[in-house]
Amino acid sequence: MGNVITDGEIVVSGLTKHYKQVKAVDGLSFTIQPGRVTGFLGPNGAGKTTTLRMILNLVSPTAGTATIGGSRYADLAEPLHAVGAVLEASSAHKGRTGRNHLRVVCAAAGLPDSRADEALELVGLTPAAKRKFKGYSLGMRQRLGIAAAMLGDPRVLILDEPANGLDPEGIRWMRDLLQKLAGEGRTILVSSHLLSEMELLADDVVIIAAGRLVAQGTVAEVIGKAGTAGTVRVRTPHPDTLLGALDGIGSSHGDDGALLLTGVTAEQVGDAALRAGVAIHELVTERPDLERVFLDLTAGKEAIR
Amino acid sequence: MRLIRSEFLKIRTTNVWWLFALGAIGLLVLAFAINALNMHFGVLQPPAEAGQQMDPESAAALAALAEPVALTSYMVTSGQYFGLMFVMLLGIITVTNEFHHQTATTTFLATPHRTSVILAKAAAGSIFGLVLWLVTTALTVPATAIFLNAEGVTPMLGDGDVIRAVLLNGLAYALWALIGIGIGVLIRSQIGATITAMVVYTVGTVAVSIIINVLTNLLDWDWLADVQWAMPSLASGLMTSGTSLPGQPDYWVGALVLVGWAVVTGLVGTLLTRSRDVS
Ligand SMILES: Nc1ncnc2c1ncn2[C@@H]1O[C@H](COP(=O)(O)OP(=O)(O)OP(=O)(O)O)[C@@H](O)[C@H]1O
Ligand SMILES: [Mg+2]
Repeated sequence: MGNVITDGEIVVSGLTKHYKQVKAVDGLSFTIQPGRVTGFLGPNGAGKTTTLRMILNLVSPTAGTATIGGSRYADLAEPLHAVGAVLEASSAHKGRTGRNHLRVVCAAAGLPDSRADEALELVGLTPAAKRKFKGYSLGMRQRLGIAAAMLGDPRVLILDEPANGLDPEGIRWMRDLLQKLAGEGRTILVSSHLLSEMELLADDVVIIAAGRLVAQGTVAEVIGKAGTAGTVRVRTPHPDTLLGALDGIGSSHGDDGALLLTGVTAEQVGDAALRAGVAIHELVTERPDLERVFLDLTAGKEAIR
Repeated sequence: MRLIRSEFLKIRTTNVWWLFALGAIGLLVLAFAINALNMHFGVLQPPAEAGQQMDPESAAALAALAEPVALTSYMVTSGQYFGLMFVMLLGIITVTNEFHHQTATTTFLATPHRTSVILAKAAAGSIFGLVLWLVTTALTVPATAIFLNAEGVTPMLGDGDVIRAVLLNGLAYALWALIGIGIGVLIRSQIGATITAMVVYTVGTVAVSIIINVLTNLLDWDWLADVQWAMPSLASGLMTSGTSLPGQPDYWVGALVLVGWAVVTGLVGTLLTRSRDVS
């Protein structure tokens, strides 16, 4: 009885959740690869949390399926050994100590109590192990959630905005931890609104808006494909002469009077300036970043529905 | 098995269980004292003038209660009223805690088979109930012996009917945990569930009894009086009466009613838990 997974691929197929008022998730399909950190992005109300909860059998889909290593979550023999999850709106009994909270989970998963102490050590909560949960700070609560997810040494980790409440040191620690875990071949799926952090952390991204898939691929692919071309920023005392030499190029003026050119490379601009004999004071290529691409891709989709 | 251990750990790692146990034992002492006074002045030495005014039915009931077996059962199951209430409250809390403290997510991630979670909660709650019953009985047995000897009645603690009453009392303690769990699933709010349950258990029982009695007398439908035994709290008392008292159904009717309630609330609770979204 129950399936043991041998690989940690997450496959979401036609997943749909309709609430009375809103189509929270609408025919969503994507695949998450093991050995990589995948960022799961979308504006508020896009359906990220709902999707993650459906993958974990906490919310029942209106239609579609989600499998982890080929099994539905409910069919896993030892779910905590296969999948660890840190979710929003998940907490501990206020009057229970952090350590006892983990021991309760250990008991349910058939793990020895010693795993609780190891997990506390891993997330740096050992000094607060015997304090009651109600005295924990936001970041400590988040760390306890991560500790609970790590108890079964899972092959797949699913995290919903885990950076919430973590200090800069904590965010850095989590980034290193998740990348190390992915390096060991585990599947890491993490939703977040911190796009610059995601650009540092993630190998792949899945972007959704209004319950539908908007983009999926490696970070570089998504940025490249998005059609948000790079701009070349150039500063010169003779902008009109330069523009004349580059004829027919789209341009605009930056806040500081610099020219912003699209559809050309920095090399082309430099060459044109040399031919025209125009002095150049600054010449840089500005690559679009994940944030720019994200805002472009999700623009026009009604966010909060 | 490990799920029951987990549920037990949940109970043990918070303060509620010993507060409830303390409350139940404290009220047990009170209940025993009240029952003793009641028996002493009401049943064993009925006031002469009251005896003359009493209708024959009530007099027969009193006389039947004065029988040693009935008397022993009655005294030895003292504390049941409050004991069962605390077991029910514990059952409620084991469920509503999961919502109140948002631990349902963690619980169902560890055990996606929600029926197993409810079964484990039922087992842990029932074990708590049985332990409370053991402690209660360990206190009431010697107290009953002392009280009845002092009254000049031979305590019938070895009698089959008394032993049956004591064992069925244990069953009641176990089953009320299930009723509490069902209520907790139905009313997820911790405060809402505990207050509703306590009000229905105390005031509700009395109110329904009164209404039924009034209606019975008004409409002259005798069968209506029996309807009150459908209430779980009265059924619990009925099933632990040693001998059948005049004007009361047999003990097994009470047992059936209570088992019925536990099964229905348990089933409804399980089905609801299985189909609900956890978010
Ligand atoms: N239990 C529910 N009942 C009704 N509507 C819901 C429920 N849960 C979510 N929704 C709706 O579904 C949509 C998606 O919500 P969800 O929480 O999945 O978004 P999200 O992407 O996680 O947003 P955020 O970034 O703000 O966390 C929202 O419009 C929300 O109002
Ligand atoms: Mg969310």
